[in-house]
Amino acid sequence: MSRLLEDDYQSPLTNETRVTKKVKRKGKRRKTFKPYLYLLPAILFLGVWMYKPLLSTFFLAFQKWSMVPGTIPEPVGLENFLRLFNTKDFPISIENTIFYTIGVLPFSIVIPLILATVTNDMNGKAKNVYRAIFFIPMILAPVTVSAIWRWLFHPTNGLVNNLLLKIGIIDDNIAFFSDPRFAKWLILFMTGWGLIGFSTIIFSAALTNINKDYYEAASLDGATNFNRFIDITLPLLSPTILFMLTMSILFSSQFTFAYIDILTQGGPFGSSTNIYYEMYKYGFSNLNVGLSSAAAMLFFFVFGIITLVLNYVSRKFAFYDN
Amino acid sequence: MKITKKFFSLFIVLLLAISILSACTTSSTDSNDAKVGSLDPNNPVTITFYSYSLALPTMKPGMEQLIQEFNDTIGKEKGVVVEGIADQTFQQFKADIAAGKEVDVIQHVFSTLDNSKETLGFKAYEDVFPKDELEEHLKGIAPNALELGKIDDKMYGLAFTFSTPIMFINGKLFEEAGLDPNNPPKTWDEAKEHSLKIKEVTGKDGFGLAPNNGWVTEGIIYSNGGEMLSEDRKEAKFASKESVEAIEMWQEFYQNGSHAVGSDTELSEQFMAGNLGMYISSTALHSGVVKAAEAGGWELYGAGLPQFGDKPSVPVNSGSALAVRADSSEKNAAVWEFIKYVTGNEGYTTITSEIGYLPLRTELAEDPKYLKGFVDENPLYKINLEQLKEIKPTTIWPAEYATETSTIFNDAIIKAVSTDAGVSETLTEAKNQINKMIK
Repeated sequence: MSRLLEDDYQSPLTNETRVTKKVKRKGKRRKTFKPYLYLLPAILFLGVWMYKPLLSTFFLAFQKWSMVPGTIPEPVGLENFLRLFNTKDFPISIENTIFYTIGVLPFSIVIPLILATVTNDMNGKAKNVYRAIFFIPMILAPVTVSAIWRWLFHPTNGLVNNLLLKIGIIDDNIAFFSDPRFAKWLILFMTGWGLIGFSTIIFSAALTNINKDYYEAASLDGATNFNRFIDITLPLLSPTILFMLTMSILFSSQFTFAYIDILTQGGPFGSSTNIYYEMYKYGFSNLNVGLSSAAAMLFFFVFGIITLVLNYVSRKFAFYDN
Repeated sequence: MKITKKFFSLFIVLLLAISILSACTTSSTDSNDAKVGSLDPNNPVTITFYSYSLALPTMKPGMEQLIQEFNDTIGKEKGVVVEGIADQTFQQFKADIAAGKEVDVIQHVFSTLDNSKETLGFKAYEDVFPKDELEEHLKGIAPNALELGKIDDKMYGLAFTFSTPIMFINGKLFEEAGLDPNNPPKTWDEAKEHSLKIKEVTGKDGFGLAPNNGWVTEGIIYSNGGEMLSEDRKEAKFASKESVEAIEMWQEFYQNGSHAVGSDTELSEQFMAGNLGMYISSTALHSGVVKAAEAGGWELYGAGLPQFGDKPSVPVNSGSALAVRADSSEKNAAVWEFIKYVTGNEGYTTITSEIGYLPLRTELAEDPKYLKGFVDENPLYKINLEQLKEIKPTTIWPAEYATETSTIFNDAIIKAVSTDAGVSETLTEAKNQINKMIK
């Protein structure tokens, strides 16, 4: 009743807008509901598998706990961080993480770029045969690869030692995986060997997207192969290169993990370990989840910063052919 | 509006429920009642047995046989099924305990037993098994072996598989080098001479002891009069003059060109391939080595750990204890049956003859019903049974830092032996690091 009275005092125009607004809002509500429904599965999975563990890690970094059911984490403040910096293998694991990250770049960027460009100009079956050969190391299980490399580099029964002895390069057998001069280089090399195939495929895919007309135009103008590579291929591949750079930096520690675990267990005397392997050891070998979380937390922030920087670089330098 | 609100509250409730569920853990029930429950053969109880022997090719068949024998006899009769789980790196059981799985019996090494007792909820035998039966069962087991698994006067591990270091000898390489395998080297100096001779004549490495062996090292230190930890386990003492001398001897030996290089796994492969004259390792490898010698067509000989001059050598034991963490009275009863079997007369007969560990019930070696025939056929065991007299237990590192400290010690040894690092500096640095942690 009052409604009617009110309406009487109002001009017809305002009344009309009110009604349409109401209708619009109702529609909007329905619209805002739907996207959330679509997001739900992703949010659920991310929530359970990523964000909850992430928050637990931040919480556990300040606790002492052995993860045994029935025991309760005990708060210890910053003790885990202090202990972390005093742990024998922590500094060397950081050093090695940097070593592996930088060392893997030639295998994830430089060599694949060359291989992809060279095979791109091939015709017919040869192109696919070569690319398949490059890709095979990537799909071999790290455990299998490690077993094969371990036999190759076996101090007495291995092919490599026998060959080097026969040629006369060495006089005594070398225990490659027990020698700090070789162990981490071999792990780096094996990781890189596996990565080449993956990067080559990515670069090859990106290369096929480059318009052939550019090359033809450049050739007509007298540009050499090398010139075309520098002035056309590189700039147009820059988004892919930056993507691979990010991938390589962020994942090199993960890719080396399996080889470290199977071949050296971080040794000899911690000289081939990396931060991932140390975190795993703290958590699942020493059952000190607090220490492991503290390392993970530091790692999270450092790599977060690196990712932000790379994002910025990527936005600034990537060139898109629009 | 209603729908969205409902939806969001549902979403939040769901998230909460998931986080609570995933944080929720099964709580263990502590029972101090040493009476075990009753078993029913028609309704067997399954218990899990985590064993590293199951993960090693040289020991796997023997350990599988032991479990099978139990399941076929006592297990069937009383209603217990043991499920063996291979645990190569001593980490599976920890991960599974952390994940809330049922981990009932663990073949556990001595060096980190104190740590696991603190963190993994191991039960003391006195607390979970009937007192009279326990006392009755322990009779006949070497008393110094029983001491090994005791912490604070309670038994958290019953010595299970047990061996002393042994020097395996490839008779063929010895003879080729003009040496007598029946008269093996007794001292380190003799071992070095023999080793160089073998290398010179045959071109193959003469001697091998891997720097990462993990336990024989302590025997070398003890043999020269050195120490590992103080009595109260509050101070590391392995950087004394005697220890440094002992390790310097090994460093010189390791780098003289006749010593095999590499990890323990690589050295055992080298020896089994017939490419190594002498190899110091655990008797646990015996069954594997015997097969390798047969396949390679060479005779296997053996000797004890070499000594320094005229000081008798003091080997340490390697091996494991059985730790238990069953949490119900039926399970305790099942676990107790299994333990009685595997550490009883039948169990040790299988362990010794099929795997190679020493019988901790030493009189079995004299008993024609059990192991006499086997020991007569394999005289290497006499060397080991002989060594039991001088034996010292391996170091049990103090609980909280056990894994870290044992890693620091082993890494220091690897560095000192296999590189040009100063032995004294390396050991002192490691000792100081450890002392900072454990004092």
